[in-house]
Order: sequence, then C-alpha cells, then structure tokens
Amino acid sequence: MRRFRFGVTARIVAVLVVLGVAVFPLYWMFVTALSSNSDLFADQPRLTPDLGQFGVFVDALAEGKAAGWLLNSLIIAVGTMVLSVGLGIPLGYALSRFSFWGKAVLTVVLLFTQMLPEALMVVPLFALFRRFELLDSLTGLILVNSAFVLPIVALILKGAIDGIPKELEEAARADGARPFTTLTRINVPLIAPSIAATAVIAFFHAWNEYVFAVTFIFNPDLQPASVGIANFIGELGTPIQTVMAVAFLFTLPAVAFYLLVQKYVVSGMTAGAVKG
Amino acid sequence: MTVVEQTGVPKTTPPGRPRRRPSPLGSKWTPYLFLAPAALFILVFQAVPLVQEVYLSFTRTRLLNPTRSEWVGLDNFNRIFSDPEFHRTLLITVVYVITCVVVAIGAGLGVALLLNKKFRGRGVARALVTVPWAAPGIAVALIATWMLNAQYGIVNRFLDAVGLGVPGGAILDSSRYALPAVLATTIWQLFPFTSVVLLSALQSVPQDLNEAATVDGAGRWATFRAVTWQVIKPTVGLLALLMTIWSLRRFELIWLMTKGGPVGATETLVIDLYSQAFDSKELGSAAAIGMVGVVISLIVIIGSRLVARAVEKGDVR
Repeated sequence: MRRFRFGVTARIVAVLVVLGVAVFPLYWMFVTALSSNSDLFADQPRLTPDLGQFGVFVDALAEGKAAGWLLNSLIIAVGTMVLSVGLGIPLGYALSRFSFWGKAVLTVVLLFTQMLPEALMVVPLFALFRRFELLDSLTGLILVNSAFVLPIVALILKGAIDGIPKELEEAARADGARPFTTLTRINVPLIAPSIAATAVIAFFHAWNEYVFAVTFIFNPDLQPASVGIANFIGELGTPIQTVMAVAFLFTLPAVAFYLLVQKYVVSGMTAGAVKG
Repeated sequence: MTVVEQTGVPKTTPPGRPRRRPSPLGSKWTPYLFLAPAALFILVFQAVPLVQEVYLSFTRTRLLNPTRSEWVGLDNFNRIFSDPEFHRTLLITVVYVITCVVVAIGAGLGVALLLNKKFRGRGVARALVTVPWAAPGIAVALIATWMLNAQYGIVNRFLDAVGLGVPGGAILDSSRYALPAVLATTIWQLFPFTSVVLLSALQSVPQDLNEAATVDGAGRWATFRAVTWQVIKPTVGLLALLMTIWSLRRFELIWLMTKGGPVGATETLVIDLYSQAFDSKELGSAAAIGMVGVVISLIVIIGSRLVARAVEKGDVR
C-alpha cells in the first residue's frame, strides 16, 4: 500500500477539523460562560475561558432558579427512566418470546409512534391532561414522556432478548420456573447492557423534552431546565454568562452519559428504530 | 405480578424440534400479562390522542373554546391546500428534509471513512465526534442563537474577518440566510449519528476484498463503488429513512432559533402546525396540517419498504 506523507498530514488535519466542528459550540458555550463582560463585548473576542470567572457556575446555581429547574428535570428524567424501562422490559419480552393475537398490529403501532411529532399530539394530550388534572404536575410529564419513549425502549429490548438462546430459559422452565421468573432471573441479567442503554435513552429523552413541558407546566417552580433555558433565548434581562453556565450544566451530564454508553445506544437505536 | 400457570409440566417435545410447541410458556394469557401495562400506556397517550387529532382535522375548533367543535368535513384540508403560504411551507419542508438527509448522510459517510483508518487516538476521536448528537436540542438552539448573534456572535465575527460577512450580521433575521443557518445547526446535530452508524457498517467491509480490488488495479473510487458501497448500501437506506422521519418532526431547534420566521422562511410543517394551534388558536387547521405530515411520513415509510423489497428481489439495482 502506498502512503504519502502528504496524505497522512491531510488526514490528521481533516480529523482535527471534524473534531473542531463537532466540539466547538460546546467549547464556546463554556468560554462564553467564563468571560468577563469586557471580553464578551470587546472587538476581539477572547477565545479561551477566563478561569477567574469560575464563580459564574456557583452564582448561577445559588441565585436564580436554575438549581430548581435542574432538580425538576432530574425528577422527570428519573421517573421516565424507571417507568419506561419497567414497562418496556416485559413488553420487549412478550414481543420477543411469545406469539399472540395482535402482535403484528402492536409492532406496527410501535413503529408508527416513532413518526408522530410531539407538536401534533400536544393538543389532544392537553385536553386529556386537563381532564385528569395532570396539568402543572411533574407526574404528568413523567407519564407522557414514558409513553413516547416506551416504543423505542421496548423495540431495543426485544432485539436484545432475541439474541439470547431460548435454551437457557427452557432449562429454567424445566426446573419449574415461571415466565416472570425466567425473565427476571435469566434474561434481565443477560441484557443488562441494553437495559442500561435504554435507561440512558429514556433519561435523556425526558431530560431534553421541551414541547410538553412548555405547554403543560404553568407554575414557574415546576419548570424543567429545558423550558427555563429556552426562555433565556431572546430575553435580555439575564447576563449571557449565567445563561451559558446553566446551559452548560444542563448539557454536560447528557454528553458525559452518552459517551459512556454510546456503543450500546447506537447499536440499540439502529436495531430498535429501524428493524423493529 | 402474579402469573397463573401450571408449573412442573414434563417436557414432551424432544429438544431441537423446530415444530411449534403446545404453549410451553404458560397459559395463552401469559403474553398479555406482560404487555398489558405498556399497551395501556401507549393506547392512552398515543393511540387515543391520535384518533382525536384525526377527528379534529375534520372540525372547526378554537383553542379557547374546544368543547364547541363543529364538523366541517374536508374544509380544513381545502383551505390549507388552496393557501399559497401552505405551499411554501410544504416546499420549505421538502428542502429542509432533503438537505438534512443528503448532507447528514454525506458528511457522516466522509467522517466515517476518515475515522475508519487506524490512527493513534482514534477511540477518543470517535467519542468526541458524537458530542453534537448527545447535546440537548435546547442547548444547541441556545448556543447557535448566541453564535449567530448579529453584533457579538462568533460566526459573524469570523465571517467579517474573512470578508464573507452578512450585512448587519443578522443571519437569523434574514429570509435568505435563516434557513441555511437552521439547516447547518440541524445537520451539525445529525451527522454524528449517521457517521457512527456508518462507521459500524464499514467495519463489516471485508478488507481482503478491498485489497484484492486494489491489487487488480482498481482506483479508489472504483474500489469504493464495487466493495464498500455494496456493503453499506442497506445502512445508507435505513439512515435515509430515519433522517427523513426525524427531520420531518424536528421542532424545538427551529422554533427556538427562528419561530419559523423571518416571514415564514423557516416554517416547516411542524412549526406551521404548532403556530396554527397556539398562535392562531385554530385546532382544526393545525390538526389538518399535522395529518399532511403524517401522510407524508407514511408514504415515505411504505415507499421505502417497497423499494427495499424490489432491491432484494433484484428488480432495481
């Protein structure tokens, strides 16, 4: 194989450019949060973070409503994660291991829900929420977010269970184990990586969700961070450094967790979303 | 949860027989016990609201007084389809979706090919490149808006420095540059996913075939077409489908960056639907616009299945 020196250099440059494009906006969020006013509005912007400004993160959490927003987001995300994975495991198991009347219809429904925009569903759901007094409640958001992420969770877990040899379960069943026991004792431990991946998907689906939160929550104390941060956009009252600090605190856990489990998430997403 | 079934039934089927066994998994109700809670959830929060939305699209209903709903048949559809602004919305949606699909997959493929070569730090590079995909849409909309800020945005400062500056710097306020800016932001968020998926597809390209083709004197492009492309083609098809569905329903990025403006320049179907419902408070037209989107998605999905089937049969190359 021929390798020119120039080719190698060009490749290194290309990789660096790609990484720069990928990472720069988040870097810039960090730099903006850590900029003094004079740097921010100077003719020549400062390109590196001013670490002396680090107190902005502490201030953002201590003063404004940001800590409350992040806590609300955390409650919604954990609730959605627990509920959707809790319901998704048995659904995935049923889809993988049983043949039953209505299976084809159910699978089509699961795939179909993947294409419904939240914006379309927000109106009828609003009516539903009003009737069941779920407006202005974190529980309501947990329920609706779970319903929206449940199909993808179930499809990913179905794929994972498909990959486990049936013989393992059959052996347990021959020893007298019930289906529920074989699911929890045999399948769940074996698909633990996929469960972790779906938990991350569910968590951040709810963590990032905006449309339902902005429509169903009126009480400012119940707003999640997505709504709080969105309200910053175009609003002049808050210092841009605070805005960016809150947004950075909102973004960092999402990125960090995704990087940890990205292998499983990506294979799960493609398998679940595409093949069904 | 209690599962009622007989246990300890002796196994009558010898192992390894592919025939369907007479319910070795418990009673015939067992699967329903497993799926019932999830199915109920999806029924209440997805199926029923969707049916209501279909109904709404045939009515005239105001947001402020939703109980007074009047059946108007196809009026909403007649009205939106005779509205030139809706034609523009459709056109913008098509431009938005096609650009997202083509550029996200093209860029993703380029990055995947780049990161498929062995080099030191490849693992770190692969992880870093997924950062945009992991970033929340809200945060992306916020930082993009700040970077595109007319006065202090880094993008304008950079463009000015290289002499390509937009007059006044108001990219998001310009009906000419707002859509490209929103598209660039969307694609920035999408390309990591396509590149990671294509990267895993590239791993299954047999290296000896590549080498054989090179030995036979095939150029890079010919080798790519003859070997690599054949292997990744199904993945590209699946990504095209996913990107189409995702960009058809993408909302918050566009909404927060431009609200569909200026003067409708970035108004896709979903944006139009949301502003019909919550700004104009016309739930019927909003539902009708939503139905158009759903029908487009369905056509894309069914069409892609048909194409995939035809390709499998070898009717189409």
